[in-house]
Amino acid sequence: MGVIEGGWEFVWAAYGVTAAVLAGYAFSIHLRYRAERRRRERERSAT
Amino acid sequence: MERNGEMRAYVLGAIGVALLVWGSWWGLFWAPRESFMGDVQRIMYVHVPVAWNAMLALTFAFACALASLLRGGWKWDSRLEAAMEVGVALAVLLCILGSIWAKPTWGVWWDWDPRLTTTAIMVSAFAGILALRHFVDDPVKRATWSAVAAIVAFVDVPIVYFSVRWWNSLHQLQSSPETVSRAFHWPLRINAFGILFLMAGMIDLRARVAALRLEGELAPPLPESGREGVR
Repeated sequence: MGVIEGGWEFVWAAYGVTAAVLAGYAFSIHLRYRAERRRRERERSAT
Repeated sequence: MERNGEMRAYVLGAIGVALLVWGSWWGLFWAPRESFMGDVQRIMYVHVPVAWNAMLALTFAFACALASLLRGGWKWDSRLEAAMEVGVALAVLLCILGSIWAKPTWGVWWDWDPRLTTTAIMVSAFAGILALRHFVDDPVKRATWSAVAAIVAFVDVPIVYFSVRWWNSLHQLQSSPETVSRAFHWPLRINAFGILFLMAGMIDLRARVAALRLEGELAPPLPESGREGVR
């Protein structure tokens, strides 16, 4: 039965990708929410 | 009221991040090495929670689609859009993590085995629905057909789950408390709850984005569709 030695580069890659994807996606939602809220506030004040 | 709801999304996200940092620290530095996979097995602490939560988000999308069709109400369409997008984001991350884990253990980045193939179909189906929503201008038609399409696409979600039992697969069977050593439980559970809280916060905030867009599309004049308010 084989045993995998090393492989930390794959572990760091997995955790790095997870952090980058989750942080990037969450930040994109935050930016979209802020932009949409401002747009709606402008539209409401115009009417 | 709106600010309170907005704060709830950010608080959920912050709790999720805190749990993820704690669980990942535990998984990387405190949890023991696995006997055969060695340190590579530590990828499990992010791969499995992402898988669980991707399927949970798409199951919530299915529930929102049913509610949208049966009960009406724009809030269900907003939640459907939010849950599908978050589910697809998590499912794409799931495929990337699976690929990174597959290389050192299977020797390949990708294989068209039943689990991976059905997952790719699931991602493509829900991503396709999200993409097509941009091409429909009428909010009523968009809400109706995307709810129907989401219900059809959801058929693949249980197939993904059971694929490793129904067919011969390179992918291992689902883990359970009986098949996972107790030493590995805590980081797995902490990260699962971390991604759950983060996912709930992201769906909540993303649904607000969809609701604000709908509000802009619908006002004025208000359509006589018989649907209730946006939120």
